[in-house]
Amino acid sequence: MTTAQFLQNLLNGISIGSVYAIFALGYTLVFSILGIINFAHGAIFTLGAYFTYTLAVGQFGINGLLSGLNLDLQVPFALSLLIGAVLAGLVGVLLERLAFKPLRTRGADSLLALVSSLGVALVIVNAIQYLVGAEIYTFPSQVYGDIKPAIMFEISGQPVVVRTVQVIIFAVCMVILALLGYVISFTRIGKALQAVAENQTTASLLGISVDRIILVTFFMSGFLGGLAGTLVGTSFGIAGPYFGVTYGLKGLAVIVLGGLGSIPGAVLGGIVIGLAEAFVPPDYSAYKEAVAFAFLFIVLLVRPQGLLGRSLIQKV
Amino acid sequence: MALLELKNLSINYGAIQAVRCLDLEVNTGEVVTLIGANGAGKSTTLRAVSRLLKVREGSIHFDGREITRQAPDAVVRMGIAQSPEGRQVLARQSVLDNLELGAYVRKDRAGIKSDIAKMFQLFPRLEERKQQSAGTLSGGEQQMLAIARAMMSRPKLLMLDEPSLGLAPLIVLEIFSIIRNLNAEGTTILLVEQNAKLAMQHSHRTYVLEAGQITFSGLSHELLLDERVLQAYLGG
Ligand SMILES: Nc1ncnc2c1ncn2[C@@H]1O[C@H](COP(=O)(O)OP(=O)(O)OP(=O)(O)O)[C@@H](O)[C@H]1O
Ligand SMILES: [Mg+2]
Repeated sequence: MTTAQFLQNLLNGISIGSVYAIFALGYTLVFSILGIINFAHGAIFTLGAYFTYTLAVGQFGINGLLSGLNLDLQVPFALSLLIGAVLAGLVGVLLERLAFKPLRTRGADSLLALVSSLGVALVIVNAIQYLVGAEIYTFPSQVYGDIKPAIMFEISGQPVVVRTVQVIIFAVCMVILALLGYVISFTRIGKALQAVAENQTTASLLGISVDRIILVTFFMSGFLGGLAGTLVGTSFGIAGPYFGVTYGLKGLAVIVLGGLGSIPGAVLGGIVIGLAEAFVPPDYSAYKEAVAFAFLFIVLLVRPQGLLGRSLIQKV
Repeated sequence: MALLELKNLSINYGAIQAVRCLDLEVNTGEVVTLIGANGAGKSTTLRAVSRLLKVREGSIHFDGREITRQAPDAVVRMGIAQSPEGRQVLARQSVLDNLELGAYVRKDRAGIKSDIAKMFQLFPRLEERKQQSAGTLSGGEQQMLAIARAMMSRPKLLMLDEPSLGLAPLIVLEIFSIIRNLNAEGTTILLVEQNAKLAMQHSHRTYVLEAGQITFSGLSHELLLDERVLQAYLGG
């Protein structure tokens, strides 16, 4: 591999890896509060992309209930991205109220929560298909504004192409990560969130409303999922209602790799899997999706608790 | 006036009845002790007041309002704080964060700051370890932190579940003098203790709980001389 190729792969890997990171954090937040995996997270990722598309473009294809509709809302993209993520966050809140809370208050087994979130995921995917069909939607190439589509430079005589979209995605993810880190570590609500994650009874003895913190957590999780969906959508297009399924599974690989419930672990896991995929040789690119899981398998053999996870012994 | 009033309270864990038809009052300005053998239902009673347990029968009134079905965080906002049994500190968070979370329901930044300084005066060991995560404190230090944290909400009613547990005798005396000072400053206190004699010496009234029911109650200095209480709880 030449230096230029290496650099190219590195940039690609870090960019997509940062999206994996913010997406996987959505799983991590819910897991650290409730100890469950939200299987509808991939569907929320998909929804986020469609929400933003509707606001920023709003032009639908030839299938589904909304076929031929052209909303032409022309909402500026940055604002659409934000509103799309907020809407996805609200879907997260709805999901908690409909699929998780009723089971929790009845003290049901957490396996039931898993099945129930899987059910919601199917409903979301089917609803999308019903409304806008299964076709591919792409954002216009100038969606991030009137900027060059790519930056080119040379390394030892060979060209390296950096798509501007990738740079923007990376920057957005870093801003979100910094913001999230700040909120969780330094704000009142973040400290309350940590308290609830550690011990719900103790947290409620301190006057923290566990119920409200759970809602906030689902909002943040949905926001991150929806944002990641839009970012991937702008880079590769929205590949249909099942768009989020592979990302949903990859996100699971990321959090297990990083260590369940660990926030730095999710970030590291995301970047590592992004890089691992980027360095798959072009001849084998059809097997790219398997890379995340092969990597996961190897790491778990050596470190069953994941890269940055607390070992189970320490946890007890 | 009764600040806390439990009327005909019954609490179950599944089929097990832990507290039966309990009547108890804590008046504003009092220190009230609740004593009883292991498993008598003392912690259960405090948990019910903090609304961590469902009340099966009876009612709880606080500060003139019924709180029988309130949420746990709501009663903290109304002015009830509890230092629960056995080091329930947030092990992963720092000592300072634990204290700040103790003041979660308060908004007065300046007051919170000066109260933290006050807690460090009361418990200098906590100040030396304020950046340390609470899980790395010794058992006794964690107990101090749990008490200090409960005081941080500036409660009207402070409930302490075995505050002397695991503390060295000198620190125990210190804790009781802190309890007396807090009370002198106007905090009403409901105290659960194994250390019955000391607790009774530092309280106005005492309730004796046996198998989920109140068997004796009265002024502490009178019960301290009662044959039956003497026999059962004060080592003859
Ligand atoms: N979570 C629970 N599930 C079932 N039974 C419980 C539970 N907690 C307490 N009990 C039972 O309820 C009764 C009262 O327990 P409680 O903890 O209130 O006793 P206590 O007076 O505080 O005792 P100690 O002095 O040992 O702390 C006991 O018989 C106990 O076994
Ligand atoms: Mg007890």
